[in-house]
Amino acid sequence: MDILLQSVVNGILAGCIYALFAMGLTLIYGVLNFVNFAHGELIMWGAYFLYIFISEPFSLPLVVAVFPAILCTVFLGIAMDFAVFRPLRKADRLTLLIAAMGLSFLLRNAAQFFWGAEVQTYGLEITRGYRYLGVSLTANQILIIVVTVICVIGVYLLFFRTSIGKSMRAVSDNLDLARVVGINARRSIRAAWIVSAALAGTGGILLALDTNLNPEMGVINLVKAFAATLIGGVGNLWGALLGGLLIGLAENLSVLVISPGYKDAVAFAIMVVILLTRPYIVTGKRMD
Amino acid sequence: MTGYCVAPRPSSLRRTQGYASLLGAGALCLRPFCEAFAPPASCRALTGERMDLLLHLCVVIAIYSIFAMSLNLEVGYTGLFNFGHVAFLGIGAYASALLSLAGFPFFLCLAAGLAAAGLAGFLLSIPALRLQGDYFGIATLGFGEILRLVFQNEVWLTKGPMGLPGIPKPEMLGVRFESLPEYLGLAVVAALLTYLAMGLVTESPFGRALRAVRDDETAAEILGKNAFAFKTRSFVIGSVFAGLAGVLWAHYTSFISPSDFTLNETIVVLLIVVLGGKGTRPGPVVGAIALIFLQESLRFLRLPPEWTRYLGPMQQMVFGALLVALMVFRPEGIMREKRRK
Repeated sequence: MDILLQSVVNGILAGCIYALFAMGLTLIYGVLNFVNFAHGELIMWGAYFLYIFISEPFSLPLVVAVFPAILCTVFLGIAMDFAVFRPLRKADRLTLLIAAMGLSFLLRNAAQFFWGAEVQTYGLEITRGYRYLGVSLTANQILIIVVTVICVIGVYLLFFRTSIGKSMRAVSDNLDLARVVGINARRSIRAAWIVSAALAGTGGILLALDTNLNPEMGVINLVKAFAATLIGGVGNLWGALLGGLLIGLAENLSVLVISPGYKDAVAFAIMVVILLTRPYIVTGKRMD
Repeated sequence: MTGYCVAPRPSSLRRTQGYASLLGAGALCLRPFCEAFAPPASCRALTGERMDLLLHLCVVIAIYSIFAMSLNLEVGYTGLFNFGHVAFLGIGAYASALLSLAGFPFFLCLAAGLAAAGLAGFLLSIPALRLQGDYFGIATLGFGEILRLVFQNEVWLTKGPMGLPGIPKPEMLGVRFESLPEYLGLAVVAALLTYLAMGLVTESPFGRALRAVRDDETAAEILGKNAFAFKTRSFVIGSVFAGLAGVLWAHYTSFISPSDFTLNETIVVLLIVVLGGKGTRPGPVVGAIALIFLQESLRFLRLPPEWTRYLGPMQQMVFGALLVALMVFRPEGIMREKRRK
């Protein structure tokens, strides 16, 4: 029973992080209508930027270093758009896709170039978790939940209480129509990149705090984030949130039944089941 | 004939001289090559080594060409962005390696490798082909990663991360392809057969239907072509030939492990296809030659030994940047696909 409860809690924790990734991915999809394969690298670089700022020349305390790290991730996201995706805005979808794939490969190996393929950590002391009802939770894990809730509220406020959020929703619904009514599409697209990269960076940092850093962390999570967006309906922010939580739960509960070696395969299996049973949700029909 | 001599006109003389100087320059360029491969008796061991390297590169190019041609059928001709193509390379390699380690003749192993890859392709295509473009890409990417997990976790079958050592060299029709030149022969014949097969597939009504599905699926459907069926067939054929590349690879290196079948392989082969020119027949071969030589030339940079750690990532960064640059500046690659009327 304890194990079951612990798995549920772990699932929610993992799910929070996947939800952050999936929301960023689905946001860019909504606005630019393509899957950003390099989203995983934003996650990974977010975590590594924090690593840069807490280690030598800077040596900032962790709490302070988070801000420049997320800022750098946002800049990376904007730079990606500026250097690669903007010139390809009118290109066909598949050209865009290969470019994103190449970009992801470039950024992943850049991280490997600087830090090697080995696993790194932030060098935090291992703390004993608080125990409650037979469930153990560390301070970091509580942080994950708190930050995710703050991010979700922030995204909600941004999208439904500000004009830039409204224009992003308009662009995501129909780019041409939005332009016709005088919405500055370029500004909305930039805003989408900022939010997407900030969510990715935050998620990456949280993930690295709870586990560790390695150059492959992006790709693995990209597949999960993608599965989450499929569950929620592509382009649907709240769907992505729910999808992320579901994937996290399914993964951690599956360990009770199957070998932990296949934990990373669960998201894919879920994806296949969805495609076989509910293919209509991926045909571009939004549910919101 | 003697005494009957026409003095060359000045213009043609100049041209000849031009050719001669060109030839001279060519010879100059080639000199390091000739020095490398022409065997002065004193250093035969060294030349042998270099010759072996060249033969090795040719085998690698032949195998990558097969792999790239199979992907080109899917990406270039059918518009299926398969980012998990390495899975089929892995299936072919593991199936053939396991059977031949169990003592089966090569002939059977080869057939099993191809069949296994084709079957896996068929099974994957059922859910994955319901997706368009990017979604298909991510679904196949996920499949590739899962296959790697299977190779890694099913230790009873694949020996997990330890890999499978000692895969025997193939023996077929009474010939044992033991030495490098012999294996090169086998690989080149396989590559040629693949090239011919791809020609048969793509330069036929079937190939035209594939291109129609790629360019406008709705229009193809209206003309009575079942797009799903055509995509499935293209995917299965592509998988079978990827399996062939896998079989050749496994028996060539005689050792395979899950780390041979990662996303990196997919990126490399994708780069070969788009560099050479997707949707063209010679494209994948041109791309394979260009890329393998690029890869190997990086090895000859005289880097200080403490830099070797950086070499791998650097090379892959170059590949990634090349892929991005190609897409931005010349998405059609070296060989441009002729648009037929």
